[in-house]
Amino acid sequence: METKEFTIKWGMAIDLDKCTGCGACMVACQAENNLAPIADASNKIKVMNWITVYELSNGKPYPEHDVAYLPRPCQQCGHPPCVSVCPVIATDKNEEGGIVSQVTPRCIGCRYCMAACPYHARYFNWRDPVWPGGLEKALTPDVSVRPRGVVEKCTFCHHRWMAAKDKAIVEGRDPMDLPEGEYVTSCTEACPNGAITFGDLNNEEHEVAKLASSKYAHRLLERLGADTQVYYVSRREWVLRQLDNYLEDEKVKG
Amino acid sequence: MAVDRRGFLKFVAGATTGVLATPVPWKLLDDASIWTQNWSWIPRNVDGENSYISTISKLCPSAAGMKIRLVGNRPVRALPDDNHPLSMGGITALAAAEVQLMYSPSRVKRPLKHSGDGAYVAISWEEAEKILKENLRRAGSKIAYVSGDETGTINELLSGMAKESGSEDFYVMPSEVQPAARAFAAMNGNGQLGYDIENSDYVLALGANILESWGTVLRNRAAFKQSHPAAEKPTVKYVYAGPVQSNTAAGADEWLPAKSGTEAIVALGIANLLIKAGASVNAPDFAEFKALAAQFTPQKVASLTGVTPAKLKAIAVELSKAERPLVLTGSEFGQGTGVATVLAGTAVNMLLGSFGREGGVKALPLAPKVIASGMDRSEIADKDLVAYLSRISAGKVPAPRAMVFYEANPVYGLPQPAAMAKVMDKVPFKVAFTSFLDETAQACDLILPTPLGLERFDDVETPYGIGQAFYALARPVAPCAVDGKPAADVLLNVASQLNMDLGFATYEEVLQAKAEAAGADWDSLMEGEFFTSDAVAEQSGLRLGAAVMGKALAAAPKAAKLSIAPVQKLNIGTPNTAIPPYNNKTIRRWELQKNEMYVAMNGATARELGVVKHDRIKLTNSSGSIQARVNIFEGVMPNTIAVLMGFGHTAFDEFSKGKGENVMELLTVGYEAGTGQSVWNVAGVNVSKA
Repeated sequence: METKEFTIKWGMAIDLDKCTGCGACMVACQAENNLAPIADASNKIKVMNWITVYELSNGKPYPEHDVAYLPRPCQQCGHPPCVSVCPVIATDKNEEGGIVSQVTPRCIGCRYCMAACPYHARYFNWRDPVWPGGLEKALTPDVSVRPRGVVEKCTFCHHRWMAAKDKAIVEGRDPMDLPEGEYVTSCTEACPNGAITFGDLNNEEHEVAKLASSKYAHRLLERLGADTQVYYVSRREWVLRQLDNYLEDEKVKG
Repeated sequence: MAVDRRGFLKFVAGATTGVLATPVPWKLLDDASIWTQNWSWIPRNVDGENSYISTISKLCPSAAGMKIRLVGNRPVRALPDDNHPLSMGGITALAAAEVQLMYSPSRVKRPLKHSGDGAYVAISWEEAEKILKENLRRAGSKIAYVSGDETGTINELLSGMAKESGSEDFYVMPSEVQPAARAFAAMNGNGQLGYDIENSDYVLALGANILESWGTVLRNRAAFKQSHPAAEKPTVKYVYAGPVQSNTAAGADEWLPAKSGTEAIVALGIANLLIKAGASVNAPDFAEFKALAAQFTPQKVASLTGVTPAKLKAIAVELSKAERPLVLTGSEFGQGTGVATVLAGTAVNMLLGSFGREGGVKALPLAPKVIASGMDRSEIADKDLVAYLSRISAGKVPAPRAMVFYEANPVYGLPQPAAMAKVMDKVPFKVAFTSFLDETAQACDLILPTPLGLERFDDVETPYGIGQAFYALARPVAPCAVDGKPAADVLLNVASQLNMDLGFATYEEVLQAKAEAAGADWDSLMEGEFFTSDAVAEQSGLRLGAAVMGKALAAAPKAAKLSIAPVQKLNIGTPNTAIPPYNNKTIRRWELQKNEMYVAMNGATARELGVVKHDRIKLTNSSGSIQARVNIFEGVMPNTIAVLMGFGHTAFDEFSKGKGENVMELLTVGYEAGTGQSVWNVAGVNVSKA
């Protein structure tokens, strides 16, 4: 299957050597995208998170042990497995920017996309969202609240891109030529360690494009061929090795 | 009448035709589809014009600078502020949830009175102020004030009220601030220790959780961000010494496993090696310090701390080779450290020539106090809340007749909270100024809702950890979401009725005076600007504090066979906030399952204890006991159990209450020899299967 090409390809490079697993990205994402809180968040299968921070271990005993944290948003695949299985085109990869869309009013909740996604980046609303104690007053107007029965996922804060384009048009600038940093996702913005770099992978001037071509940049399960737009950067071999399924004696690039 | 086969089929065909001809099945099907799809109410987006207000967090210990996004007049997001020195384009997991905390289900919505049968009774502000005034008058000089604010001028107001009524009992909740202030005072220092982490080229954090919770953490993390360009070799080496491979260790370039509470010993071990390599300090007690440091040979340090001689030597060499090295000290859980720890760390900085140098330690000037009868920071640092409560508990001093708690939650947040709660029982009248119905508020007779930092005027002066003098205002971005009144206004009103002369009629006047004292421009502060100054406090006759260190270390408690290492993470909140609603999703799978918390130990320790992952265990010591399940994490030192702080709330809401247990139950208070500072960074524990 050919990858659909776009003039702009929004992408992310996450430096796993800089992430300390603090969770600021997860909180910022929920507040920005109107995810509902949940009293018991320990059942990770039922909890909705558009970005989740996983803990990685080098598997060695103390004192050789090393730890890393891997934030996982939707990987925005070049040819997304979720799109081809959606019976109602609720999810598509058809818009300039290369963001995999998620049209929740169109979603019928069949969850084929969840089964197809190799990154577990999709979440199903088993229940209606509840914001207790007046918490709904802090909802942003940017992202519709989703009812039960539909699937949702990270959209690279698509509303922020729309807002940046609108602003450029109003100011008489070319909306397809936004300066670097004018549109970033909420998690990128929040990260105090600067672990997340966001920008146009097709624009060589953008930092993210440079990082994506680094020898230390890998993608999650790269050999599945999903051609994802999220890159992970680490100078640690053991970290890069965990991003895909390698044979024991197989060398990892970087 | 017999029904034959033909008759039966006729009947079925007739009935089928009849049923299909009526609208009933279609109506039922329609209704079923409607009613099964008739979703309960979910909120709709409310649009409005966007605006942004710059302010500073009073809720997050990092004093995070932030921009609040408003839609219409509704605050919706707390965003990082690129131009703020205490944000530098980042936000903590706690500050990011601050807007949502305005609507937290556990907010105190109106003044409450605890009735005789234990129920809360809503009362008016007039009645509440009357009760407060009468009880403060009745208590006279037998009153104590406890503040949970480290950086606000409200401490001058509270301590001023205490002093005006003839009491010396004003205390701030324990943190890294008091040992640091007392250490600098013991050095004959003037001002507050500041750390120029941005300009350092080698950072050694001894226990200080600098990338998660220590000091002005967003500034630390911005310095880390700058010095660690993505996919490139770091330009500054960060080394973290502590018992657990914490978030700071995960970011640091090297984790140096060192037992909890042994930071001073590691520092002295390094000092010894530096002195042997020719380093010296022009201080009157250098000879005494040299003799003290000489006792801490690499072998001795290894036996006490777990840091191998080779590692210690390597760190000492790296430090001496660096041009602008910086050593930061603290405890991995932000409290319970002794004065000697800060002294030892500062001594290493002085040996490295990093005191007063760019990228090193500075003495920051503090603004003079503006409430004449109030206490300044050095006076406050001498007031040890844990020691005071312990003395009451032991019957050495009488319990006060009244206690006033300002945004402080000692019933949850102090070591041995059960003992602290018993002390509370001895106090006839307790009042809590609080935003949330926390454990302390639940133990109080009067609960007065305060607006959050986003809903009131407040200030932040030079938080501990920052590298330059600083002053900024927190400004209300929205009306108070509950029927709250700023505590400062309530207290000033009550103080005037009690004929106390604090010199100011409103808190805004106090803040204006403070801003002027700090050298800041009020008008620009009101526009969200902040004041910084690179001025340093003049020093004369600076000592190393060798005698203090010597006494403290000679009597330092020995590490137990099995010890606990509390770990602080800001995403799990503070005693004042508990776990904010959005933040419990950030708790990892093997940190909490339903209401059971996990504690972490390495595989060797687990084998020695005869436990495996998920086993239920009971951790017990002389202070108390908690129950938890076992998680195996190899990033924990041998014979150490890492326990997360922030669990085990018995108050607040469904996002915090009843989740896990409070590690403070296991922390035993001791007193540092020589300084008398209460310390609780070393705690032994026994483990049994539950």
